[in-house]
Amino acid sequence: MIVRPVQVTDLPALLALVRQAGRLTSLPTSEERLNHRLRWAQRTFAEQVERADADYLFVLEDDDRQVLGVSALTGAVGLREPWYNYRVGLTVSSSADLGIERHIPTLFLNNEMTGQSELRSLFLRPDKRQGSHGRLLSLGRLLFVAEFAHLFGDKLIAELPGRTDEQGCSAFWDSVGRHFFKMDFNHANHLSGLGNKSFIAELMPRQPLYACLLTEQAQAVIGKPHPKAEQALKILSAEGFAHKGYIDIFDAGPVIEAPVSSIRIVRDSQLLELAIAPPDDQAPVWLIHNRRLENCRITATAARQVGDRLIVDRFTAKRLQLQPGDLVRAVPLHPRQPQAVAA
Amino acid sequence: MLVLRPVELTDLPQLQRLARESLVGVTSLPDDSERLRDKILDSCTSFEQTVQNPGPENYFFVLEDSTTRHLAGCSEIVATAGFSEPFYSLRNRHFNSASRELNIEHGVPALSLCHDLSGHTLLRGFHIDPTLVRTAYCELLSRARLLFIAAHPPRFADAVISEIVGLSSDDGHSPFWDAVGKHFFDLPYVEAERLCGLESRGFLAELMPQYPIYVPMLPQAAQDCIGQIHPDGQVAFDILQREGFQTNSYVDLFDGGPTLHARTRSIRCIEHSRIAEVRTGSSIDARGRYLVSNDSLQNYRAIVAELDYTTGQPVTLDAAICAALKVHEGSLIRLIAL
Repeated sequence: MIVRPVQVTDLPALLALVRQAGRLTSLPTSEERLNHRLRWAQRTFAEQVERADADYLFVLEDDDRQVLGVSALTGAVGLREPWYNYRVGLTVSSSADLGIERHIPTLFLNNEMTGQSELRSLFLRPDKRQGSHGRLLSLGRLLFVAEFAHLFGDKLIAELPGRTDEQGCSAFWDSVGRHFFKMDFNHANHLSGLGNKSFIAELMPRQPLYACLLTEQAQAVIGKPHPKAEQALKILSAEGFAHKGYIDIFDAGPVIEAPVSSIRIVRDSQLLELAIAPPDDQAPVWLIHNRRLENCRITATAARQVGDRLIVDRFTAKRLQLQPGDLVRAVPLHPRQPQAVAA
Repeated sequence: MLVLRPVELTDLPQLQRLARESLVGVTSLPDDSERLRDKILDSCTSFEQTVQNPGPENYFFVLEDSTTRHLAGCSEIVATAGFSEPFYSLRNRHFNSASRELNIEHGVPALSLCHDLSGHTLLRGFHIDPTLVRTAYCELLSRARLLFIAAHPPRFADAVISEIVGLSSDDGHSPFWDAVGKHFFDLPYVEAERLCGLESRGFLAELMPQYPIYVPMLPQAAQDCIGQIHPDGQVAFDILQREGFQTNSYVDLFDGGPTLHARTRSIRCIEHSRIAEVRTGSSIDARGRYLVSNDSLQNYRAIVAELDYTTGQPVTLDAAICAALKVHEGSLIRLIAL
């Protein structure tokens, strides 16, 4: 099982995957648009595009060359057109004379995430969600950032989908966005997902919004992730991501963020020399990157660190397209798992 | 006879009764003898002072039965709204947004705190005995203020405004307050209005929302209150509207009630009232009802009278009317048809 850059030949497999995912990813379901996105991703990995346009699209592939999942990473948000979030701030309404003190959460429209890099479009086939597949697909991106930090912003962010009802309606949208866009949530979200975000700039209210003036249902979902996003939240939280009060302007889902340098995978990853030997039974699972950009290969497998060397089986070396003695970037896949003590 | 005159300190007990009777939201009448006393003294000073330009003056009038001395109503002119502190209103205006790409263009109304109306002359404190509503005396109580402004133009601003009390339920709930003010003040509507009567409105500044409130985001019941009049405010509203006052984009920040606005010189009572010389005698052939005032300051009087008046001619007033108006042969009076 490996994570690798998407290729144009992945189009049919990816199209099937994206259509299965429905609205869960921001990937287009039209063949033409998806094809365009794949070509763009290829150019990105070939370092032919600027950071502002960089779109790193990865697929998870098994040893039979079947595409099982997809994940993406952008070079930077907001450098081509404004990137909007609300920040949940506070307004204090207070009068000492009257003994009144009201703390009123207030939503401030902002572009503060401009220039940061975004994790997005994660989808794994439901029948493959066991073992380490989800972690490999999601966290592989972090190891990629560790190796190529100069290609990304100071922070990584992820917009988790907000709470919606069974029909896909968002109480937050109904209380806020609907009045300014005069369209339903699914349509707006669809336009946004197509990368058509400039209309937000043109139509959104510029002034802060007092949360207490929203409907109770809308207030209740501010900063709350959709239940389907809770696993992703858990995994990224363990890596050092946190919700600092930024939310999506459509559905109020949380934007979680982490400075790149404080992400566990970035901080703890090491450059080790690949060595081949049969792994022992107690060997922990490591996330391993072959340190290449265009031919990037990332895998998760049992490995043992011995000094400056990382011992893996020969299939792993083959999956990484490496020879013994090559340098890899590696980190234990799970946080807090006791690491092998260097001899 | 019911006569309108400046308030006097001896009116205090009766004014307290009027304050208790008056509707919540007529915030200028505190049910508190100390405050009312201050208000009366302020008014007395204002009538006494020589004034070149509108300042902090407050002219308070009462409607008195000249026989029984019973006070049937009161009304007030504030020379300069917001003279010593900002006069706050909510301005309702559209924030336009357009997207060429999506072919959407629309305006979203939003209420913004402002003190745009500071500096205008303000009519307020209007309260009349319920049995006199929709009578000529109701007109007298309201419009005699305008005749007073006509007689003393340097004392007043170029524009006159009046806030009309907005919708609230019989048990003292204002849907607008519950949806807006309550979040920021943490007080029931009635209590907030009471405080406004007692304290200056300055405390509002500390507590009012500084960012616009987007109207479509408010509950429907609150939206429906914007610019709407309490049934008890309808008469006051109608009188001023006939005088040429118009509603505009400003509403009250507590109850969402409308604000009426007029250029001073184009107010009907001011533009169309006439000056006539008094002849004493008995008016033989009364042809119409008029509002009549004596154009005085401290001795200002206004009444409703049946008169035989021809433009440009002197007008004959009987002894009772002359006494009520404190005028005599050769005095000048101001009048306008009811």
